[in-house]
Amino acid sequence: MGFIKHREVRPVTLDGRKRPRDCAGLIAALDDDNPTARRWAARDLTDLTDCPGSSAALVTRLGREPDNSVREVILTTLTLRGDDVAVAGLVGCLGSEDAALRNEAVEAMKQLPDQVAPIIGGLLADADPDVRIFAVNILESLRHPEVESWLVSVIDRDPHVNVCATAADLLGEVGSQAAHPALLRLRQRFADEPYIQFATELALKRIVG
Amino acid sequence: MLPAISDLDFEKFREFFYRKTGIQFEASKRYFVDRRLAERVEITACKDFRSYFTKLRFEASGAELQVLTNLMTVNETYFFREEYQFQCLVRSILPEIVSRKRDRGPIRIWVIPSSSGEEPYSIAIYLMEHWTGIAEWDVEIVSSDIDTTILAQANQGLYSERSVHHLPVPLLRKYFTRVRDGYQLCDDVRETVEFTRVNLSDRADTRPYRDFDVVFCRNLLIYFDDVSRKAAAETFYDALKPGGVICLGHSESMSRISSLFTVRRFPEAIVYQKPQETR
Repeated sequence: MGFIKHREVRPVTLDGRKRPRDCAGLIAALDDDNPTARRWAARDLTDLTDCPGSSAALVTRLGREPDNSVREVILTTLTLRGDDVAVAGLVGCLGSEDAALRNEAVEAMKQLPDQVAPIIGGLLADADPDVRIFAVNILESLRHPEVESWLVSVIDRDPHVNVCATAADLLGEVGSQAAHPALLRLRQRFADEPYIQFATELALKRIVG
Repeated sequence: MLPAISDLDFEKFREFFYRKTGIQFEASKRYFVDRRLAERVEITACKDFRSYFTKLRFEASGAELQVLTNLMTVNETYFFREEYQFQCLVRSILPEIVSRKRDRGPIRIWVIPSSSGEEPYSIAIYLMEHWTGIAEWDVEIVSSDIDTTILAQANQGLYSERSVHHLPVPLLRKYFTRVRDGYQLCDDVRETVEFTRVNLSDRADTRPYRDFDVVFCRNLLIYFDDVSRKAAAETFYDALKPGGVICLGHSESMSRISSLFTVRRFPEAIVYQKPQETR
């Protein structure tokens, strides 16, 4: 016994494959009974950019995928693609009853600043305050120059105290002097809300330094 | 005088290089990147960055991209770096793997990045010195890197004083010969490792890498952005057998990258394990 070497990396052959690794085959494999087959299908679809319907198939699968390891790969593939269907699918997940899926969608969208920027206004104006809170969560680490102005807009206009509180918390981390007047206005608008008083005071302290 | 690289050139290159390799250069690396780009523009006799960039993007062989990748990657390591993980390998990880094994197949270890070979060779030396199981089990060490120049260097096994300064003197004497340019690793150890060229961000490259018991990926993912890091974690997940483990650098945490792995706290080190059963 001891050390052994294979002189070359053994290629993965098509032998034993249930389905071809083409567009139709990979989309079909997303619904395979075996989670490993589903995960590999989602992974291989990353490289298959010319595959009509694949982003939609990934989004559909994501909504009902029970296996965490498959979900992670689907989310990464959708993030790497970042096309309109992928982003719309992630937005759809924000309304899911599944908390883990919602959080995963928020994390994925944080990686897509250019794609999320055009739709963030709509998300911040969604009728559902939970979706608005998730939108603020996306801003947390979205690398985009407008993050602060979006947050200022939230604390100036949003009627829901929890949405404003989430935005004020975040302004304490990413805000500058530009947010100072809006934070003061928020304090006045929710003068009877202890958490808003606390969050704005903290944010103002951090901003002033 | 070297050709100038404008802000726009830098941005274009940064985006392109990131898509190809997953490696992202922050603005603070501007001088490092500019210098190497400008040198390649001159050496390849391109008239400016624009023509060089066209060559880089559309050259069918991809040879220039490989040359540039070799220049842009950081290769700094030494023998027995973060030794506590090798202790963990022989005292905790391998005994567990052996107790779980149902066949007599080899124990497979993937080391990425290989860099100039100090890490995979350290593992081989450590196993020979500290793991009695080496008498009973076959071990296969595969070590990969995106940089072909550094792989050639790793195969050669010639090291500087700095590379071997952490090695105990008896091991230095046992496995190395002092030569004019440094220390030459003996053939017995050189032959324990298979070196391969792999771009961790290229899923076609990594697809054949499967059925490993242990992966060492130390101090590489810190150069990746969040999405590339997550994709790399998924690659390792598929490269490992169920129950296999991955060892990251001391400042890295898989928990911050992906929820695919279970944290295992061994007395010597924290490692990350692929679950035995898929969830």
